[in-house]
Amino acid sequence: MLRTSVAALAAGAFLFGAADAALAKDHKICVSWKTFQEERWKSDEKAIKTVVEAAGDTFITADAQGSSQKQASDIEGLLTQKCDVIMVVAYDSDAILPSIKKISDAGVKAIAYDVQFEDPNALYITFDNIGVGRLMAQEIFKAKPAGNYAFIKGDKGDPNATFLFSGIQEVLKPGLDSKKVKNVCETFTDGWKPDNAQKEMEQCLTKQKNKVDAVVSENDGMASGVVAALKAQGLAGYVPVSGQDGDLAAINRVALGTQTVSIWKDSRVLGKAAAEAAIAMADGKDAASLPGVAKFNKGKKGVEMNTILLAPTPITKDTLNLVIDAGWITKDKACAGVKKGKVKACG
Amino acid sequence: MSQVAESGTAHLVAVESPVKRFFRATEIDTRLLGMVGALVLIWVGFQVFGQILTGEGVFLTPRNLWNLLVQTSAIAVMSTGMVLIIVMRHIDLSVGSLLSFIGVVSGVAQVYWLAPWLGSDNPFIWIAGVLVALGTGAVLGAFNGFLVAYAGIPSFIVTLGGLIVYNGAAWWVIRGETVAPLDETFELIGGTPPGAWIGGTASWVLGALICLAIIGGIAMNRSARARFKFPQRPIWAEAFLIVIGCAVTLGTVWVVNAYPWPAKIAEAYANDHNIPIPPEGGEALNYPHGFAVPVLIALAVGVVMTFLATRTRFGRYVYAIGGNPEAAELAGINTRLITLLMFMTMGILVAVSACITAARLDAASNSLGQFDELYVIAATVIGGTSLAGGVGTIYGAMLGALVMQSLQSGMTLLNFDSAVKDVIVGSVLVFAVWVDQVYRRRQS
Repeated sequence: MLRTSVAALAAGAFLFGAADAALAKDHKICVSWKTFQEERWKSDEKAIKTVVEAAGDTFITADAQGSSQKQASDIEGLLTQKCDVIMVVAYDSDAILPSIKKISDAGVKAIAYDVQFEDPNALYITFDNIGVGRLMAQEIFKAKPAGNYAFIKGDKGDPNATFLFSGIQEVLKPGLDSKKVKNVCETFTDGWKPDNAQKEMEQCLTKQKNKVDAVVSENDGMASGVVAALKAQGLAGYVPVSGQDGDLAAINRVALGTQTVSIWKDSRVLGKAAAEAAIAMADGKDAASLPGVAKFNKGKKGVEMNTILLAPTPITKDTLNLVIDAGWITKDKACAGVKKGKVKACG
Repeated sequence: MSQVAESGTAHLVAVESPVKRFFRATEIDTRLLGMVGALVLIWVGFQVFGQILTGEGVFLTPRNLWNLLVQTSAIAVMSTGMVLIIVMRHIDLSVGSLLSFIGVVSGVAQVYWLAPWLGSDNPFIWIAGVLVALGTGAVLGAFNGFLVAYAGIPSFIVTLGGLIVYNGAAWWVIRGETVAPLDETFELIGGTPPGAWIGGTASWVLGALICLAIIGGIAMNRSARARFKFPQRPIWAEAFLIVIGCAVTLGTVWVVNAYPWPAKIAEAYANDHNIPIPPEGGEALNYPHGFAVPVLIALAVGVVMTFLATRTRFGRYVYAIGGNPEAAELAGINTRLITLLMFMTMGILVAVSACITAARLDAASNSLGQFDELYVIAATVIGGTSLAGGVGTIYGAMLGALVMQSLQSGMTLLNFDSAVKDVIVGSVLVFAVWVDQVYRRRQS
């Protein structure tokens, strides 16, 4: 069902584009997705498509359905369709490199969308993951500038877990050095699983005899486990807890006061920024000259790339209106169970 | 064993060591004893290690042991079914994903379907949530069983497929979202809110009842043996078993009662009931936790499954099929129906665990239960179940689950790196099976 509709969409866009190309000298902006299994990519696509079509250009997309081989042949297909710029959400950031080389060889420009692949000619656009870690730590530090901190990190196999933690440490370093902030528990969580995070938090509280003043959890799912563990000790709402992703349940927790912050990466902002960059590059502009571009070399191999790092948005009680206004969540869901007059955005 | 007991010549008794005579008289399963020994070793080890490392051992505190029991319940419940599946020479790899699917369906039913329809404080919601879970588990388990028994597809393949299918299905229902919070009464199943702790008095009463049940059970067993002219255990051995059984039961009650309510929760309760709060804070009110609901559920499941396995025709058929499937079939046992029913039972047990896990987290998401199949199988195997079929006990598997969870939480307490944790847990699994093999070879 999903597969056919995407194929139809791609085919439709192609036919439309081919007919249109004869009339106007517009460009083709193409995207190779790694998978459509996760819902978020739909909103990315919508954002890109809107910008591209508003500029009078054509939008073509292909879905690799979670396979590196399919993605390689997708990209060949896109090249045959004479795309001007190809955005790639790489399924495997190493296996994609030969395909990226084919793109540059054909004189076409490549954009690494959200997932990095290390090719010096490509433009890399993503949210600043180290920045996400920084924002989490900042919000928690604002709420509890001194005391015992627990760190619930993500899966040890995921480089993002480490990226996040380096941002967290950066912010807390002065506090840790002056011994005002004390690292009492620190653990990776297999598979970023909430129930594992719950057990870890229970052990931490047991060990510390409840003397935990703040919890830095690297995402919202794990934050749900942390809050459940705190709740069992009557501490939920007293101990600041962080998270990221803007999970609907987490936004509700922020409104209820049991979670302090959820760092939200609005995929529509990412889509819009990427689409604008792609249009400019299709017009022949050099990637390095685009607004917001800086050099980045913190990938696995340290290749220097032109990069746009977008700032994510911290959602707290005070900024709750941002997610509601953006239509990310309905007010009813965000404010479920919140008492009148407690949170401004809930009324 | 039984031959020795029956022939029981004076000569044999004479050369028997006192230890051997003790085990023969009390009829204690030495493998069970080995496992209990291992458990004690792990517990004391973590306590001492913690003392050396941090100056304060917390493993053997009532609070940690209480946590340990709650954390073990979900895996323990599933392991009681996995034993019988493995005894029948099958395997169920789908339990983890099935748990996540059931959890998600039950969560969605409570929060998105029933709450808007019936009002979010309707007392019917939690019952419906549980029934939806149990129903889904029974149907999908039976479907697994049907494919294995009637379509003749190996259970490894059926449930490997199930692992992938239910994983996808859970995604499909919820799209990576988390459903939370769940119904407030439903939450009690997980043991998190104070309403899910039965308190001191109730725990003592329950302990006393279990103790009476042990005494009654042994007395009934004695009279049954007399009726069928079976050899009796000596009176001292019976007394020993009663004392040990009651000591373990009442000791457990003492431990769960020695963990007082957290300060903040006790204070809130005192404020609501106009009870003065002592100056030392809420913990000084000393409200005992007592048993938590999920632990009671796990105990009840253990009793029911043990009854099913040892006292019913169904249970005897399961072991007969596991011992020799062809012989069982030739003896007129409807092996296909038994297989189907067994997988259905497994599905229901997964549903019970799904309720515990989701209620405990007060949230349902598709990441719940992932990889649980590995822990359940590991617990079962550590508990002495033979993958060759025919051999395995319910209590062994539940103890195995406790061993696994003890290792996990003990290492978390000591801030072990999670890579090290994985290495140790995996090694313990292999080591336990090796020890069991050596033991069995010696026995035969």
